Amino acid sequence: MLFLMFHIGSDRFVLDAEQVERVLPLMEAKSLPGAPPEVVGVINYRGAPTPLIDLSRVALGRPSKRLMSTRIILARYPGERESHDRLALCAERVIKTIHRDPADFVATGVEAGSPAHLGPVASDADGFIQWVRVEALLADEVRDLLFQRAEASA
Amino acid sequence: MTGAGGGGGPGGSSKAASAEIAGGLLERPLPAGYCEDWARHFAGLESEGAAEDEGADRAALLFRIGDEWLALPTDHLHEVAQPRRTHSLPHRRDELVLGIVNVRGELLVCVSLAALLGISAAGTAEAGERSRAGPRLVVIGRDGRRAAFPVDEVHGVHRYAARDVLALPATIGKAASSYAVEMIAWSGRAIGRLDDALILETLDRSMS
Repeated sequence: MLFLMFHIGSDRFVLDAEQVERVLPLMEAKSLPGAPPEVVGVINYRGAPTPLIDLSRVALGRPSKRLMSTRIILARYPGERESHDRLALCAERVIKTIHRDPADFVATGVEAGSPAHLGPVASDADGFIQWVRVEALLADEVRDLLFQRAEASA
Repeated sequence: MTGAGGGGGPGGSSKAASAEIAGGLLERPLPAGYCEDWARHFAGLESEGAAEDEGADRAALLFRIGDEWLALPTDHLHEVAQPRRTHSLPHRRDELVLGIVNVRGELLVCVSLAALLGISAAGTAEAGERSRAGPRLVVIGRDGRRAAFPVDEVHGVHRYAARDVLALPATIGKAASSYAVEMIAWSGRAIGRLDDALILETLDRSMS
């Protein structure tokens, strides 16, 4: 199974590559005043407004470093009905994919205390890699804010 | 722990190290106007974008041998390396097999795609004006069997969509036509796309 790796601070995380539509370069986003802090704004992807979430801000409360390796992951966010919404995720060091067996990932044992989107971990020589679940990334109220609003105006 | 890291063999750890170095190249600040330019690029209309990348689900490496620009699907493409010395093989004096080359410690058979396709290597008319892109060694392979062939210039990987494909015209070079399966439109010219499976098969047969 293919995973896309990224970093939050010095720790490594992966997303299921199936959920990734594209990796885009870092680009300017239109800010959304009043939105939750992790929502950087909205990027215009081929004319479709796509909310941009900064994963460094979600986890660490600071924005991702503005480097060439900081990229935008265009993820498929499961929407209502069968449709998919697109969610743009900004993360550091999006430069690598890895192949791992999903069975390599084991529960951390501290699920109760960690956010819902942080999944099981797999280990390698450099430490642990944690699986991030896109579908659980947004708190309900943020999800409603980002996607209901788009639907209402459409 | 470092010993465990090299569990994939010496090749694995050197690959990981080179990936780290390549990743390090991207650890640099954004050039001025980078974010704005990309925002403008991706803000392009859906229809425009579709024409540009959405349908482009095929990829081929574009390279030049002599006067001929060719495209090879990336499925069996392993790497593009700097040209290096070819060591000739004793008692092997055919046109196709040039010798062996050392690509990062692995000895690969170096073949002449020009000989296979019947392209005359004499055509260097274009080389003068495009001399900044030098010759390269392209490594292809399948199922662990790898081979390398020298090319005069590599353009890069070109992504294209099904509608960029043209039928093979009758005028393409005689021998090349058996390996070229279709034409790809690229910046005003049509390039023969080679059948990589057929080439690999032919190489396997000729080397055995």
